[in-house]
This record gives sequence, C-alpha cells and structure tokens, in this order.
Amino acid sequence: MRLITHNMLSSNIKGVTNGFPLRIEAEKVVEKEVDFNPDFLRNMFSKIEWKALTDASKALGYAELPEETEPSMLESELFLRKLHHALLELHLEEGALVCPETGRKFPVNKGIPNMLLHEDEV
Amino acid sequence: MKGVLPSIVTRIDQECSSSKGEPTPEIEKNHVHRVYDAIAPHFSSTRFAKWPKVQAFLNSLLCGSLVLDAGCGNGKYLGLNTNCYFIGCDISSPLVNICAQKGNEVLVADAVNLPYRSGYGDAAISIAVLHHLSTELRRRRAVEELIRVVRTGGSVLVTVWAREQEDRSLISKWTPLSQKYTEDWVGSSSPRTHSDSPSFSLQSIPENDESEPRGDFSDEHTDRTCQQEYLVPWHLPYHRAEVSGTSATALSTGLARKDDKKGAVVYDRYYHVFSEGELERLVSSVDGAIVVDKFYDKSNWCIILKKI
Repeated sequence: MRLITHNMLSSNIKGVTNGFPLRIEAEKVVEKEVDFNPDFLRNMFSKIEWKALTDASKALGYAELPEETEPSMLESELFLRKLHHALLELHLEEGALVCPETGRKFPVNKGIPNMLLHEDEV
Repeated sequence: MKGVLPSIVTRIDQECSSSKGEPTPEIEKNHVHRVYDAIAPHFSSTRFAKWPKVQAFLNSLLCGSLVLDAGCGNGKYLGLNTNCYFIGCDISSPLVNICAQKGNEVLVADAVNLPYRSGYGDAAISIAVLHHLSTELRRRRAVEELIRVVRTGGSVLVTVWAREQEDRSLISKWTPLSQKYTEDWVGSSSPRTHSDSPSFSLQSIPENDESEPRGDFSDEHTDRTCQQEYLVPWHLPYHRAEVSGTSATALSTGLARKDDKKGAVVYDRYYHVFSEGELERLVSSVDGAIVVDKFYDKSNWCIILKKI
C-alpha cells in the first residue's frame, strides 16, 4: 500500500463520524522506485491531507517532508522529489491501519489492505 | 432533482438513508463472493480482452488523473492509461491478490461501502459490477459511492449486463430465479431449494445438450422477456478446481455441482440483468451527478456521469 492510497482511506465503520486518517502500524516497509512525474504530483498535491501524509510517512520511516507547505514549493524539484518518494515509492507490505475512533485494525498483508467490515460493523 | 421523482422512488430513498448499513444478502455471499473466490485464477485467465468503450473512456481522462476502479476483478483495466494513476478494489481477496501480483495498487473492499474519503478521485469506473447486487437499494448505494468518491467535475463510467442480450441463445443457458426465490435468499442463512428453482445436486448431472435450455420452459419466451434475476453458470475445469479445497467444500454444501461430461465443477453466479432504461433511471435517482452519455454495447447497458 502506497501513501497516495493511505491518504484516501477512511474507516467506514457504522457510527464513526471521522474515520480519517487511519493510523499506521508498520511491520514491514519496502521501497520501490517509480518514474518521477512532476505534473502528476502537482495535480495530486491539492487533494492531499498534508498532516496525514507527514504522519504516515514518519510511520514508514521517512521524515523528510516539511511540516507545512506553500504553493511555491510546487516549483521546487527538491520538494517534489520528496513528495514523490513519500507518496509513491514507500510501500507498507505488512502491518495494520487503525481506525482513529474505534481502534479497529484493518490488516495489510502483502501490501494489500483489507477494508472489509464485519457484519456488526456495517 | 428529488421533486420530480415519482413518489415510490422517493420512499425508497428515505428507506435508503435510514438503513445505511445492512448485511450482505446471502445470495450475493453464495453466488457472487464465494464463486469468484473459487474461480479467481481461471476467471482471470479468461479476462484479458480490453473493451474498447472502457479504453476510450480511460484515454479521454486528463493526464495525471487518479482513477478508482470499484469492483476491479482481475485488474484488467488498472493502468490501462499509463498517464493516469489507478487504485482498484474488489470484494474478492483472491482476485485482488492477482491484481497485486501484476504490480497494481489494490485493496479488498465493498463497492456498496467504499473506504475512501469523498472527492479524492478524478474518475471512477464500475465495469460489470452492479448486476451482482441483488437489491435496488444496494445498486443505488453503489452508484452513490461512485459519485461520492470523485471530485466535482469528475467522471463515472458504469457498465452492466443487459437483459436484452445480443446472443439470445446465451440466456437459455441461464437459470431464471422467481421473485419469491430471490426474496427468500436475501433473508436466509443457508441455501435451500425452491419449488420453482433447480435443486443443487451432489451427484454429477449429465449436462444437457448445448442447445437444450435449463429451467422451466413451459412458457419460455414470455417468461424470459420480463425476467431479470438469473444464475449464470461458470464451468471450472477439474484440473483447475482444488481437490481438497474450495471446490470440494462447495460441492458438499451444494453451492456447486459436477459436470463429468465437461469435466468441470459448475458454479452459478447471481445476476440482476438490467432492462433498457433501468440503469439511467437508477443513476438519475441519485443526487449529485448528471448523465453525459449512455449507450448499449456488446450486450451491456453503459452510462457516463459527471459529478456536479
């Protein structure tokens, strides 16, 4: 699971008012290189919840992202490279995503999160 | 938009909002989820042809678009436009594993309750998915989800099997379900035979001649023109079915049957095939999007929406 996906995932358990962001428990993280595409990153930037990304990135062992951002950073290749790395090249292979309200753990195995709810959570 | 809807549809809308969470109907558990889990590798090997209409839709998207495929199956469309970023989800873990093995970004999730925050995607696709949902409520929920997860101005493509099939002889191989049978299934916890339905047998059933239709055919033509609920067989060759695994369990519980003549374990997939205009009525009953295109292609009803 990449952080671009994590930044979108939300706990949809019945009764949960805000299930985003899910807290990451990382057991195995791998890095896989991906082609750098600055236009794509600029398009994604406006959608990203920045604090969720920086927290998640730290959980995966990458603490290089700035805490705050401003639009001019999108012209900085250095910044875009860091964003690229955090968003697309870090993979959570094994671990869990934790609902911020209920503490319920959604498992991540072989890089695949399982977000299916049990019958009583629907 | 709600003001112009007929009153019966408004009532269903009200029920919808109060029953946001409902358990998965048994007919879907037994004749969609468990079937795809059992047939995943074989199913995937037969799903390689890229449908031009879907390809055209994906190629029309702006560079750098984030595309969500809800019910991605074997991931056939993930990454089809190399300028876009795809995230797929499916309810079947075995199918999702197959997607992941090809390097795709995927997760296991339910199309009726997508675990995505709203407005993140640029586009969403639902290719041959909604016809596996057994109630109009669930089909509408799935459409609501597709619209919810894309941004304002984002596009949604939905395709479903049509009741009006180009190859009419195909329908004769399907087993029609009566309305009462479908209602029984939605509530029951185990499969049971119904007087109007075929019984699932543990023994091998000699397959009928290919041209001979199954089911009750005393009034074949008139029965089928209104019929929309079907079980559609999938033949899993013996050499692909695990001897001591899913298929053995399926055979012993009656969810599958053997066809020695074809050398296959036969699973039945549940379908609600859509009648002409039904898909458009369904999406029009959901707020927040307008229809920008609709067409019939290769025995499927298709629609493209834009979130407003």
